[in-house]
Formats: sequence, C-alpha cells, structure tokens
Amino acid sequence: MLLQGKTAVITGCLRGIGRAALDLFAHHGASVWACCQAPDDGFAAHVAELAEATGVTIIPVYFDLTSHEQMRAGIKQIVDAKRNVDILLNIAGAAHNALFHMTSMDKLKEVFEIDFFSQIFLTQMLTKLMMRAKSGSVITVASIAGLDGNPGQIAYSSAKAALIGATKTLAAELGAYGIRVNAIAPGVIQTDMTAALPKEKFQELLRGSKLPRAGLPEEVAQAMLFLASDLSSYVTGQVLRVDGGIGG
Amino acid sequence: MNMKLMADRNVIITGCSRGIGRAMLGVFAENGANVWACARNATEQFVSYCEDIARRHEVRITPVCFDLRDPAGITSAVRSIMASNLPVHALVNNAGVTLNALFQMTSMEKLREVFEINFFSQFLLTQYVVRLMVRQKGGSIVNISSSAAIDGNTGRSAYGASKAALIALTKSMAAELAEHGIRVNAVAPGITATDMVGQSMSQKVIDETVAQTKLRRIGKPDDIAHSALFLASDMSSYITGQVIRTDGGLGR
Repeated sequence: MLLQGKTAVITGCLRGIGRAALDLFAHHGASVWACCQAPDDGFAAHVAELAEATGVTIIPVYFDLTSHEQMRAGIKQIVDAKRNVDILLNIAGAAHNALFHMTSMDKLKEVFEIDFFSQIFLTQMLTKLMMRAKSGSVITVASIAGLDGNPGQIAYSSAKAALIGATKTLAAELGAYGIRVNAIAPGVIQTDMTAALPKEKFQELLRGSKLPRAGLPEEVAQAMLFLASDLSSYVTGQVLRVDGGIGG
Repeated sequence: MNMKLMADRNVIITGCSRGIGRAMLGVFAENGANVWACARNATEQFVSYCEDIARRHEVRITPVCFDLRDPAGITSAVRSIMASNLPVHALVNNAGVTLNALFQMTSMEKLREVFEINFFSQFLLTQYVVRLMVRQKGGSIVNISSSAAIDGNTGRSAYGASKAALIALTKSMAAELAEHGIRVNAVAPGITATDMVGQSMSQKVIDETVAQTKLRRIGKPDDIAHSALFLASDMSSYITGQVIRTDGGLGR
C-alpha cells in the first residue's frame, strides 16, 4: 500500500487514464476526490463500488474545466472539507487535432483554456493547502507531443509544452515547502481518444516505438503512483516519459 | 492485491556493500525480491548483513563476490548465478567508483581505470545477463548513472564522462532489446549521503550543492533505491530508454 492515509485530488476520472489512476490509487489506500466533468450515474455507481471494495473514502466532484465558476465551486467543496490534500493529479484535458494553418485563434485559446489555464488555476488553489502542510506531490500530465512535437497537434502540443514549463518552475518555487512537482508524458496509450483513430494512423503513431505496442492506461497510472508516492521522494521537476521508448 | 513490488523476483545488484547498493539490498528485499548481492569482498560484516536482511524479509540473499576490474571474475560470478537455474528478472548496475580531479590533472591511466569500472565492466556483466534475459523473453535493467553525466560538474570529467557513456548505452540497449521484452533505464542520482560523497567532496561543496536542490536537502540512499525499485518492477512496464533524475531537482 503505497498511499495509505493519503488524500488525492484526481481530475478526469471518468474514463481512460483517469479511471485507471482512480482505481489504482484507491487500491493503494488513498482517499480520493474524484473529479469529472459532469454528473454521471455510471461513474457514481463505480465510485461507490470502489470505495466499498477498498475501504477508502471517494467523493465525486463535478466541474467543467471551461467554467471557472464550476471549478471554483468544485475547489471550494474540497477546501471546505478542511483536510490535507497530499496529491494533486491533473489528468483532465482534451486532445485537439488540426494543422497549424487550420488552427483558429479561438480554437487555440480554447485548447489552452482546458489543457493549461485551468490546470494552473486548480494547482494554485490546491497547492495553498499543501504549502500550509509543508508537503505534497503535484503531477501534471503532459504528452510526448509536448516534448517532441507532433504534426497536426500544434495547439495541443504547445499547451502541453507550456505545462512542462510550468511544472519545472513550480518545482523550483514549491520545493522549499516540501512540495514535489513532476510531469508524466504518455506516449500512445489505448484509450477512447486513440481508439477513435483509423487503424493505419494508429500503427503509424507506434512507428519508432521501442516496445512494439501501445501502452495501457494502467501502465500510465502505475507511473503516476510512483510520482505520487514516497517512492519518488527525491524526484522533482522531472518529466517522466511513459511511452515505450518512442523518442527522446 | 500483493503490495510487494518484487515478490518472487530474482535480482542481481552490484555494489551492495556500502552506500546506495546497501540501501538497495534492503529496499528490494523488503519488497520481496531474492537478491544476488554483489560486492568486491566477502567480508564477515557483509555476509552477516546479507543473512540478517534475508531473515528479516524472508527472502534469499546470495552474496556474490568479485572485482569489477577483473573480467574473469565477472565471468565466473555470472556462471555461479546461472548455475542456480533461476530466472533473473532484473539487473541493477550500481557499483562504481568516483574520481574528483580537474581535466588537466586527470591522467590517462586514471581515466581508463574509471571507465574500466564504471563502464566496461558493466557492459560485460550486462552482456552475460542479457543472454539469459533474451532466453527468458523479458527482464529489466537499471543502470545507475549520475546527474554529473547530464549537467557536467567541475572536477568530474572522467567520472561524468563514464556515467554519460552509461546513459548512451542505456538508450541503445533499450532500442535493441525491446523486442525481447527487456526494458533498460537509468537512474541519475544527485548528491546523496554516502561514504563516496563524503570522501570525494568537501563539506563546503556538499553544502553548496544541497542549497542548489529544489528540495533543499541531500538525497538518502533509500531515495535512489526507490527509483531503481520502480524501474526494476512491473510498475514501469511501459517505460524504457529513460533516465530518472533522482536529485531533489538539481540542475535543469
């Protein structure tokens, strides 16, 4: 049990990597504020079942990253509980595929709103709690696109690169408070996002990957567990590629 | 859910008598691993430490003693490990020497000696172990590099270069061996509280370096052991060819 007695805030818990992280963290003893975009009966049932099976407290929190009003309300719910938050795992985000010249400024700003500004806002609010407690671990989810670039993902890759910059700066600013800040850069992972791709495009994405397969959401969640837990107590300001060795 | 990350796994760790390797032995055993604990000398103290760890965590710890400067010693050590007919799930190349000498003051002889221990010997040992892992169709190799390999530090030309060579080796091996299900990664420790650091750095340099870390503290041998544990275990099953800086946020 690597997270016994810890409390985590995880965003994007409804599907994919977020769901896998929620399940894994709960099984490792963490209480979780499980954030997702909108109330969902299936999700509420899953959370109840998971809490029952693991004996931890899991509270769903609903907010949309495009609405500061909803985010404020969600954060208030967490802060008002007056409990320490040991781990913030920012998973929620949205991919966007469009060539540079086909990306309107409106779309660019929309992507940055979801993949960058909202993460910063949430992190600002919750690291205040961590600073008071003088400990914590913040994990952002970047992407190999933010490190290597990816044709057709100008907005997404730029927002993720910005997130990496913020991760390193935050690590420097918050280190003195005992708060570690690291990023995960997933490669090609089997999620709904990648399942929507045509098969050829999917195979093309995997070209150059050292491990000859896509990753599983559970494998990304395991790397998140490492960064969230005390196993990584001397690791900060890093970007951990979980990509089967596709570049870098 | 078995929470022991290395339950029933067999691991080779080099440089187990002191510092980071000694910590690794404890951390891996605590997590259920059986370990071939490699060290230069089978001192009474080392052997009884191995026995103590084995008893405490109910695992098998086998001391294996050889000098990394002696290729024949490496060969016979590997033979003794293979004679057990057990699978080797992970190899942690931790043993190494430090050298603190300015570039112009580093003799070719010293340079070669550092590379002999920090690079060539690891290369040979790993070749042998990989042969086994290819047959098993899987394994994880963890090389212990250094932040000095990435950042460069005054007085570390030989040491830093040998550790940088280890990083390049890590990445090439990751590319070559992935098809066999073998992952290869590295840990780059920063300043860590070991005898090696105590002997090769002045207190002033240690204090200055610690002040440069984001976390404002010196690393503990366990910190490094935990990163190696992560990379050796299935927790990192989709990670290969990477270097995890475990340095409290030193450097970039």
